[in-house]
Amino acid sequence: MRALIPFAVVAVLLAALPFATDSRYVIGQAILMLFYAIVASQWNLLFGFAGVFSLAQMALFGLGGYATAMLGTYFGWNVWLGMPLGAIAVTLFSLILGLACLRVAGAYVALLTLAVTQGIFVLIVTDTDCFQMVGATCRQLTGGAVGFARFGDLGTREIFGGRNFVTANYVLVAMLFLVTMAFTAAIVRGPVGLAFRALRDNPGCAEARGVNRFQMQLLVFAASAFFTGLAGGLYAAHFQSIGPGVFSLSTLLLIIAMAVVGGVGRVWGPFVGAVLLTLADEVMREFGDYRALGLGLIIAAAIVLMPRGVLGLADAALERRKRNA
Amino acid sequence: MEILGPVLVSGLTTGALYALATLGLSLVWGVLGMLNMAHGAMLTLGGYAAYAVVTAAGWPAPAGVLAAVLAGAAAGVLIHVMIARPLVRRSPETFETSVMIATFGAAIALQNTILAVAGGQPLGQPLSLSGTARLGPLVAPWQNLLIIGVSIVLMSAVALYLARTRGGRAIRAVSQNREAAALMGVPAEAVYLRVLALSGALAGACGLLVSSLTQLSPTLGSEPMLKAFIMCVVAGLGNIPGAIVASFALAMIEALVQYHFGARWGFPVLLGIVILVLIWRPTGLFGRATVQRL
Repeated sequence: MRALIPFAVVAVLLAALPFATDSRYVIGQAILMLFYAIVASQWNLLFGFAGVFSLAQMALFGLGGYATAMLGTYFGWNVWLGMPLGAIAVTLFSLILGLACLRVAGAYVALLTLAVTQGIFVLIVTDTDCFQMVGATCRQLTGGAVGFARFGDLGTREIFGGRNFVTANYVLVAMLFLVTMAFTAAIVRGPVGLAFRALRDNPGCAEARGVNRFQMQLLVFAASAFFTGLAGGLYAAHFQSIGPGVFSLSTLLLIIAMAVVGGVGRVWGPFVGAVLLTLADEVMREFGDYRALGLGLIIAAAIVLMPRGVLGLADAALERRKRNA
Repeated sequence: MEILGPVLVSGLTTGALYALATLGLSLVWGVLGMLNMAHGAMLTLGGYAAYAVVTAAGWPAPAGVLAAVLAGAAAGVLIHVMIARPLVRRSPETFETSVMIATFGAAIALQNTILAVAGGQPLGQPLSLSGTARLGPLVAPWQNLLIIGVSIVLMSAVALYLARTRGGRAIRAVSQNREAAALMGVPAEAVYLRVLALSGALAGACGLLVSSLTQLSPTLGSEPMLKAFIMCVVAGLGNIPGAIVASFALAMIEALVQYHFGARWGFPVLLGIVILVLIWRPTGLFGRATVQRL
């Protein structure tokens, strides 16, 4: 039952936001934050609970978005059909990635997944061969450096009108976020989550006790991919565009930073980190050029000064009070 | 034969640059077990330091080279004091991943400091030679020959230092077995500091050479760093001679692929090679499998 308390608190907070403000900017930033929180929570599932340091999480997110966009552009599919199909495709892709990563560990996993991400990024950005003509301009098969736009939307604009559709999209993203968190919590607290943690803490001992590493590794790669891909599709559908920027190293870093600042290996860590970093980013907005600099310093300082994240600090503070009382 | 000449010159030049970038990265990995994600930013810093001293302050060229090396070494020392030392002291078990994230953050901060100070527009590196040399059938720009020459000199110097001096022996001892070395009286933390400073100095020099071939920009170091990762992995992380061989071999392959299939395929082919190597031989082509005790 106690596991449901943070759920209820976060759900109420998310539901209250549209009533507290009608600034489209704030709602828009909250949507972006929730997308990041979803990806960060799934990266956390992979790294924080299963101990696999992957740098491909944004690639999975991007592929989900590209799948939705390409199905819409080339086959005229509605995004509501494209998103789940994209998520399934991303899950399969992640399974293959998990297979490839089976024999490597630690920094080698990071480099292998980084190589895959960079490979996708470079191939898309340098794609200049014309695939089809759109009016007077040519479109590449992969969208090239520009990406895709106008492949259909969520349909919220027709139903709720131009004034309220952003709020409607916010509700959709918030719902996806809560479902993702429920899924993550269920996995982590179940027997599979125990197996993940056993493999993370002592792979040799876990295998000797009968945990199937092959099975579990594929499971965690697939599990952490589905909602990431789905979020990517929703991202593309919400912004009605997707470009190669999602594959860039800096976005990935932001995701990792959120998990690290909030607390790696904690179910709600990535969400707390996403909220804090989004707020910090808004404060630094006034300093213009120094925004990215500040973000880099926050990441480095967070991992050096509070390795267990904000939630870890809160835990330690609670513990101290209990002992003193 | 007409094809072979330019491919050879370009392959050797980029190979020399990759080898230099890889050397520093591999050294740090081998000794500290740390993947320094800020290596690319240290390269960039070296290039800009030389520019600042030569163009902005008007000092002679050797001062620029010195500035690049010193700036890189200073960045290495800072990374040791601010990031590597506190992290390794606190929890050696999670050091491998936490140091990657922390240096990643440091890289972003450093890159954006450079952006804020020098601006985003590309700048020309003043330290470069013009003209070409003819060596029989080969035609090579002097600048490329200079890069190859400087790289070979630097690599030989590092190799001699590691093989023949007391300090180099300490580095090798710590890299082989930290505890045993510490028990024999080798100050492990001082060795870490020295290795990061050395790696930074190499990165600074490498950044100067890279920028002399292209142009200065705040993202100058990121591509060489990604390439250096590839070389390191193909050779096996921490294997220095293997990394140098891999640098030249892969640079040749890249030059050939770019010549035959167009420039866009060079990098993806390298990435494909590294993915296959990791799957086929997880510890690299020259790496030895380590037996893990539980």
